[in-house]
Amino acid sequence: MRFLVVDDSSTMRRIVINTLNKLGQHECLEAGNGREGLEKLQQGPVDMIITDWNMPEMTGIEFIRAVRGMDGFASVPVLMVTTNAAKDDIVEALRAGVNNYVVKPFTPDTIKEKIDAVLTAK
Amino acid sequence: MSEALVTKLVEATHEVFETMVFQTLDQGEPLPDAQGAPKSNVVGTVGFAGSASGLVAFYSTLDAAKAITGAMLGMEPGEVNGEIPDAIGEITNMIAGSFRTKMATEGDAWAISVPTVTMGSDFYIKPFSNGRRILLPFRMNDNDVYVELILTKQR
Repeated sequence: MRFLVVDDSSTMRRIVINTLNKLGQHECLEAGNGREGLEKLQQGPVDMIITDWNMPEMTGIEFIRAVRGMDGFASVPVLMVTTNAAKDDIVEALRAGVNNYVVKPFTPDTIKEKIDAVLTAK
Repeated sequence: MSEALVTKLVEATHEVFETMVFQTLDQGEPLPDAQGAPKSNVVGTVGFAGSASGLVAFYSTLDAAKAITGAMLGMEPGEVNGEIPDAIGEITNMIAGSFRTKMATEGDAWAISVPTVTMGSDFYIKPFSNGRRILLPFRMNDNDVYVELILTKQR
C-alpha cells in the first residue's frame, strides 16, 4: 500500500512513518504542507493520506477539500493528526472530508489503532 | 492571571511529555511576572489570538533538547543533531495546541500560529512590555525545562 504523510514537522512525519513501518507499510511519500501534498498526488494514486491541520502555505483542511475535488481521490481514506481537538474543529474536519482523527499528543498505540481502523474500513 | 489558564497549561505540558517524550515531569513552583527568561539554548514559541491573545514559550538547555528529541524519534541523545529545532517546535506546538483545546472547554476560542524555534548560546528574549507573564518550571530527570505563558489580551 502507498501512503502520503503531510506535515510541516519532519519530526512528526518520522513518527508517523515509523509507525507505518511497524505496521508493515514501507511505501510512504512525504510532503511539508498541503500544496506539496497536492503535487505528490499528481504523481500517482495513494491508498491513504495522513495529514496535519496547521501548516504554512496550505492547511490540512484546504488540502483535503482540494483532494476531494480531484479525479480519483474522492474516496481515498484520510486520517487527520492534529492538536486541533475542539468540538468545532472536529466537525469542520469531518465536513472537509476527513475519515478519522488523531489528537496530538498521542500514544503509539492510539495512532496504530486509528491507522488500522481506517485501513480496515477501506 | 486566571487559575484555569495555569492549570490547563500545566496539564497540557504533562500530557505532551508523558505521551510523546515518554517522561514524567516534576513541577516546580510557578513564577508569576518573572523578570527575564530562564537560561536556555533552545526556545520554541507559538502565538495565539482570539478571545485571549499571547504566546506560549518552551525553554530548554541543549542537553534537555537532545534528550527530548531522541526520545521522540527513538534515537540516543548523542546521535541527535539537526533534528532539534523541528522536534522542539513540535513539542511547543503540541503544548500550545493542547492548551488551546482545553481552554475551548472554558469558552475560549483561539487560533494558534505555527511554531518558531530559536537556538544559540548568547541571546536574550525581550518580553512584551504590556503582557502578564507566568513561568512554569519543570524538571525532567537531570534537566530543567520551562514553559512560559505571556498574555497580552484576556477575556
